[in-house]
Amino acid sequence: MSDVKQHKVKDIFVEGPVDPAFIATSIAKHATRTDIGAHEIFLGQVRADATPGLTRSRVQTIEYTAYRDMALERMTSIREEAFAKWPAMTCLHVHHSLGTIKAGELCFMVFASAPHRQSAREAVAWVVDRIKAELPIFGKEIIDDDTHQWKSNDLRDSGPGLRRDDSPE
Amino acid sequence: MEVLLFGMIAEMAGADRVKVDASSVHQLRRALADRIPDLDKFSMAIAVDRRIVHEDMPLTGSEEIAVLPPFAGG
Repeated sequence: MSDVKQHKVKDIFVEGPVDPAFIATSIAKHATRTDIGAHEIFLGQVRADATPGLTRSRVQTIEYTAYRDMALERMTSIREEAFAKWPAMTCLHVHHSLGTIKAGELCFMVFASAPHRQSAREAVAWVVDRIKAELPIFGKEIIDDDTHQWKSNDLRDSGPGLRRDDSPE
Repeated sequence: MEVLLFGMIAEMAGADRVKVDASSVHQLRRALADRIPDLDKFSMAIAVDRRIVHEDMPLTGSEEIAVLPPFAGG
């Protein structure tokens, strides 16, 4: 892969949903890397959450926006830390949607590859939690034409050791 | 100085940027609260040059300042 252990700023954002066909192509591209023995992929899907106080109403779509420059800076340092923690990892691909994503569509992908499964598994779980906690991405949950609410990540299940702040390493 | 607003806070302000005068983060918070009604009822973070600041610090006006509501990525 062209991005192996390069830590330049990469754009993780895609307009619209993450296409399952894109994910399949991304997996297929690793066939030339015969040092890889394990892929681990996390996919986030927009959930039609019930809305408190609005019986029978559910989230129809999420409109994602981001503070792009900060998000990409944070992602670059998360990527660097991930490669430092799991040096066996051969590559790490991250994509997050912007714009309108319908319930049932994919909005987030974290894909790590390594010679053995442990590095890939651990890295993906850690990177997903870091992204949810630290990247300035905002989600407007559309209930119907007249109603919306703002999504806020619940970080309580993010696991131990996750930093809530943004302090320099 | 110009302050970038995002998500729910941009919606509350009716704009994605506002101009305020402030020479510290503390002053900035007060100026924003004056400008955006009910802002103090919501959770927000201030980013200076794309890093969240938790303490008061001086501002020269040349920084990139942003007001961030809770994150919702993933």
